[in-house]
Amino acid sequence: MIKIRNIYKSFENKDVLKNITKDFNIGETNLIIGRSGSGKTVLLKSIVGLLEVDSGHIFYDDRDFTLMNLRERKKMRQEMGMVFQGGALFDSLTVEENIRFPLDMFSELSSAEKQKQVDYCLDRVNLNDVNKLYPSEISGGMQKRVAIARAIVLNPKYLFCDEPNSGLDPETSILIDELVHQITVDLKITTIINTHDMNSVMEIGDNILFISDGEMCWEGNRKEILHADNHKLQEFVFANKQYQKIRDDKINDQ
Amino acid sequence: MNIFNQTGKYFALMLKVFAKPEKHSLYVRQTFNEIENLGVKSVGIVIIISLFMGGIMTLQVAYNMSNPLLPITLIGLGNRDTLILEFSSTILALIMAGKIGSNITSEIGSMKVTEQVDSLEIMGVNSAGYLILPKIIAVVLIFPLLYILSVFFGIIGGLIVGPAVGAVTATDYLNGIQFSFKAYYVFFSLIKCLVFGFLIASVSAFFGYTVEGGAFDVGTASTRAVVNTNILILVWDLILTQLLL
Repeated sequence: MIKIRNIYKSFENKDVLKNITKDFNIGETNLIIGRSGSGKTVLLKSIVGLLEVDSGHIFYDDRDFTLMNLRERKKMRQEMGMVFQGGALFDSLTVEENIRFPLDMFSELSSAEKQKQVDYCLDRVNLNDVNKLYPSEISGGMQKRVAIARAIVLNPKYLFCDEPNSGLDPETSILIDELVHQITVDLKITTIINTHDMNSVMEIGDNILFISDGEMCWEGNRKEILHADNHKLQEFVFANKQYQKIRDDKINDQ
Repeated sequence: MNIFNQTGKYFALMLKVFAKPEKHSLYVRQTFNEIENLGVKSVGIVIIISLFMGGIMTLQVAYNMSNPLLPITLIGLGNRDTLILEFSSTILALIMAGKIGSNITSEIGSMKVTEQVDSLEIMGVNSAGYLILPKIIAVVLIFPLLYILSVFFGIIGGLIVGPAVGAVTATDYLNGIQFSFKAYYVFFSLIKCLVFGFLIASVSAFFGYTVEGGAFDVGTASTRAVVNTNILILVWDLILTQLLL
């Protein structure tokens, strides 16, 4: 479980995050949603420590990440996996070498055991016969799946995904969403996903935080979101008319 | 103030670069990769440039020796000492700053803007150490070897061109390159090579590692890296020449 308490972050006197407090639950897909520029990525990068918060606390299972020194953070990070918006695979390494990299760096497994783990992860994300290809030789959807495989290869306790669906077609987006959700439930990990894709929200949003202009505006789950009484959230959700229709249909049915 | 800010950031980055590696074997493997990428792949261009420059310098010394009282062996000597003292260390370093330096900046810069550096950090890897330290070690190790190669092929260039155009006979040229040889000059230039190698790798890596934005910014950073490395090479050339010669 990850808890964040009273997070503030600013850049050059411009407040980007204002007093964000939230619990992200284990075994659930926790979503941070909001418009582009609302502060989602800054919040996610602050949670994983790529950005330092100005004030507030971040707890990983009651361990205060903000109070950890550099060495403790490096150790802590071996319990984290992250899927970046563009995949962030190493161009100079093959798919297999990309997934194997964290094992080479941190595990004491034998070469055969590492290979077994790599094969398991590739199988987990439904990728076969791409082991020897370079990232530039596979599709965007495949790159995302390789990134997920790399993120889970060290059996992390916490998984972070920054807009995993960006640049993907709707069908592949659903596959990625389902994959992340399934991994979260099966491995009983705490997953936080940044997204502005309403399809993802409605598919896998177990625990949702909506932020706007760096402020927490609403929290709930996918069942509650269509009926939430929040002006900013409604503007965000019903920007896609399809969801307005779904809500209206439900109200008419009742 | 910007220069102090940048210098401070550079030294802060170097502290991170020289932190204890997570796994030595991976760093060693990466260093060998970099020796191949940055060093071995530069051998061809070093040989070509040195051959031509050796030939050109031989011709220029010959054409400027209009005084019949000067011994013709000075042509070989002039070419040798120019190569040993300045061309194969400093001029080659300026050329390598363009080739190796821009390569390092654009590689690390591209990794930065595509979040590959962040992904290393998230794994718990010291990204600065893993990406930069092997490059610094590789360039510092390979640069003295490139220097020796450059001196050798520069002298060969003179030996080919001088007699071919009738500027000097092969015997006079060979006598010239053996005349009044000072081994300290080579030692002095090897020290310069170590310093220049460190500057090329570390300054270029600094500009790549601190880039923010996109492809355009990576290009700008590469240019700034080459310009700044060249200036630093010349400044350190002056300092080392004053201190060591």
